[in-house]
Amino acid sequence: MEFDLIHNLGIGFGVALSWQNLMYCFFGVVLGTLIGVLPGIGPVATIAMLLPVTFNLSPISALIMLAGIYYGAQYGGSTTAILVNIPGESSSVITCLDGYAMARQGRAGPALAIAAIGSFFAGCVATVVIALFAPPLAEVALKFGPAEYFSLMILGLVGATVLAHGSLVKAIAMTLLGLLLGLIGTDVNSGIARFSFGLPELSDGIGFVIVAMGVFGFAEIITNLEQGESRDVFVNKVTGLMPTWKDLKDSSGAILRGTALGSMLGILPGGGALLSSFAAYTLEKKIGDTSMFGKGEIRGVAAPESANNAGAQTSFIPLLTLGIPSNPVMALMIGAMMIQGIAPGPQVMTERPELFWGMIASMWIGNLMLVILNLPLIGIWVKLLTVPYRLLYPSILLFCCVGVYSLSNAPFDVMLTAVFGLLGYIFVKLECEPAPLILGFILGPLMEENLRRAMLLSRGDATVFFTKPISGVLLGMAIVLLLITLAPTVRKTREVAFQE
Amino acid sequence: MSRWSRFTLRSIVALMLALGCTTASAQSYPTKPIRLVVPYPAGGPLDIMARAIGQKLTEAWNQPVLIDNRAGAGGNIGADLVAKSAADGYTLLMGAVATHAINPTLYGKIPYDPVKDFTPVALVAQVPNILVVNPSVPARSVRELIELARERPGYLNYGSGSTGSTGHLAGELFKTMAGVQMVHIPYKGGAPAMADLLSGQVQLMFDNLANALPNVKAGRLRALAVTTLARAPAMPDLPTIAESGLPGFDLTTWFGVMVPAGTPPEIVTRLNAEIVRALNATDMRERLQKMGTEPPANNTPEHFAAFIRTEATKYAKVVKDSGARVD
Repeated sequence: MEFDLIHNLGIGFGVALSWQNLMYCFFGVVLGTLIGVLPGIGPVATIAMLLPVTFNLSPISALIMLAGIYYGAQYGGSTTAILVNIPGESSSVITCLDGYAMARQGRAGPALAIAAIGSFFAGCVATVVIALFAPPLAEVALKFGPAEYFSLMILGLVGATVLAHGSLVKAIAMTLLGLLLGLIGTDVNSGIARFSFGLPELSDGIGFVIVAMGVFGFAEIITNLEQGESRDVFVNKVTGLMPTWKDLKDSSGAILRGTALGSMLGILPGGGALLSSFAAYTLEKKIGDTSMFGKGEIRGVAAPESANNAGAQTSFIPLLTLGIPSNPVMALMIGAMMIQGIAPGPQVMTERPELFWGMIASMWIGNLMLVILNLPLIGIWVKLLTVPYRLLYPSILLFCCVGVYSLSNAPFDVMLTAVFGLLGYIFVKLECEPAPLILGFILGPLMEENLRRAMLLSRGDATVFFTKPISGVLLGMAIVLLLITLAPTVRKTREVAFQE
Repeated sequence: MSRWSRFTLRSIVALMLALGCTTASAQSYPTKPIRLVVPYPAGGPLDIMARAIGQKLTEAWNQPVLIDNRAGAGGNIGADLVAKSAADGYTLLMGAVATHAINPTLYGKIPYDPVKDFTPVALVAQVPNILVVNPSVPARSVRELIELARERPGYLNYGSGSTGSTGHLAGELFKTMAGVQMVHIPYKGGAPAMADLLSGQVQLMFDNLANALPNVKAGRLRALAVTTLARAPAMPDLPTIAESGLPGFDLTTWFGVMVPAGTPPEIVTRLNAEIVRALNATDMRERLQKMGTEPPANNTPEHFAAFIRTEATKYAKVVKDSGARVD
């Protein structure tokens, strides 16, 4: 077994280290970083546009390049989240909370550096996880049926209450609003459009990027402009670009925990990777000294960034072992494989070992390239903050609009983002946190879908949620967490800890 | 010269220029980039084929063919966009069984007329679905499956990528023709449905051949039959549902290129010739073979038009019988 692994990795590195594959890998990660940094322009649009280019490449070079774009974007996506509070990717929403707070204190450099270091560590670990355990982990992923997903979402939603720093009532209200927004669109079971007001553009629901970019990014820009040009804190207080030893020591535990959580949740094909950054942040906020969360806690950057990169990497497991894509990017990867005449599925590993192991080896090489590429870039990114508002904000808005438009080539989406920007500004004025809204928005539709599916499968018997072992354990954990949150003594400490 | 005659003169000159342009454009078509609208998100078989054909047309004509994904409302948004575009041959649609045969009945009212608003150009592919079961299901043939469904009513669940998809309608047609009960479990896309089929949460699925084949080969799924009237070239040993006790059972997922109605016939002819040539290229044949099909025979605009009409009639009945409706 061990010999096999070394032998297989030997094949993999043999393939990945050929000069042309190194070149494609480098091209992929550079392009990925760039589109990750540009808010809104995501890997889906980029990979789709590059698909015809891959027709003429060898299958392994094509896949190495496309995979590079995907995890490169995960690295780059955190940059705008930290610098200007705009999450380009779903995975970097949580990074906004403490990453942007750090930037405001002049610590954008350490935040960016710890995000890159955490991502690198997570990427390396997740690559080893794929190499060692891909087939058995795929079996675990299959244990998650509709009932299990529903219970996992419940646990996530209960955990969401800790996402807020302010009033608990407002956090619950925002979560509910998020759930409601998530209901917009076609009902999966009956196929009937809900709350779409007869607009075909709303029939598939509101895109995640639209809501996130509106309530985080646009709202932040409006708020900043209201205060005029007073960014002394940003620019003058920059205290070194690299994290201090204390920063590294503080975040090492968070990186480890984030990596573990992300690697586990990433294998679930039903949106697990999406949840990993939320889950990691929630976990961090439950342990150790929590007084600094939301005010620039470096662990609040380290944990979700490690988790989302680990999740991005392990989400290749269902693709490579079962042929099941866990997100739109993976669906495109399947398209790319089919074009090359490779049917993604269980046989890829045995029939095309050079492809499977070559890709795994390239992931490790790509992660190394990314960290080498990203650390020197930090100085340049931080300098971006000194660009005057009158130049910085119009260009950010322009890129955002281009990015949102590129999601489905619809002008309607751009208008909708503007509406959410306005809504986000109102939330700022009302002191309502947008993070619980986003979580409700993501979890709501998934929960409903899985609840109804589980009930359809059990023919209306609601006890399945408790009788299925995994589902039962998850629900039990949710109940315990709820009790802890609601217990009066804990609530008191919570108020002390989280009220500003 | 009076104002009126000057006006007339100008109009005549303008008209002549315009006419000159039209003739020229039909002869020298294409003189600018072409947009091929795909009414679905990037990544599916239809999108992949659209990109492959776009690449071939680009090479042949030295004009870029841009793929424009306009997903939403079951393909209706993209189809509507093309229906209302200029009929000059520069906006094409990769139409599909959903946009032109299923949705008109499924949705009740759609913003375009699938027959009057479009001129069919060429069929691109007719992809068979196959009936696959989780290996835990004891049935080894369609007959055994029907028996099983009769003996244990309420045991079988079938998954599909969405309400109103060919996978869903194949299941409904199967239920009607065999007179058995199965519960439809809709998913958001084929991938999660496949995951639940592999784990045995649902027992069977009518999935497209290319998608299901790898797991059939690996022994994680058992293929019982193909939904087309004729056996699939990719799996010649797999019987059809029609020959397994439900004569006449015939469902395919198809897609093809269309242009807005009123596009000059010369352009339609040129497009058809180039697309048919592209489909018969060696690499494209291979791609189609992987999907379980081959380049459509007798691929003229007229045949495609007739085919769409037959399909629309067929699905109108299947959709009505299934009781599925989206308003």
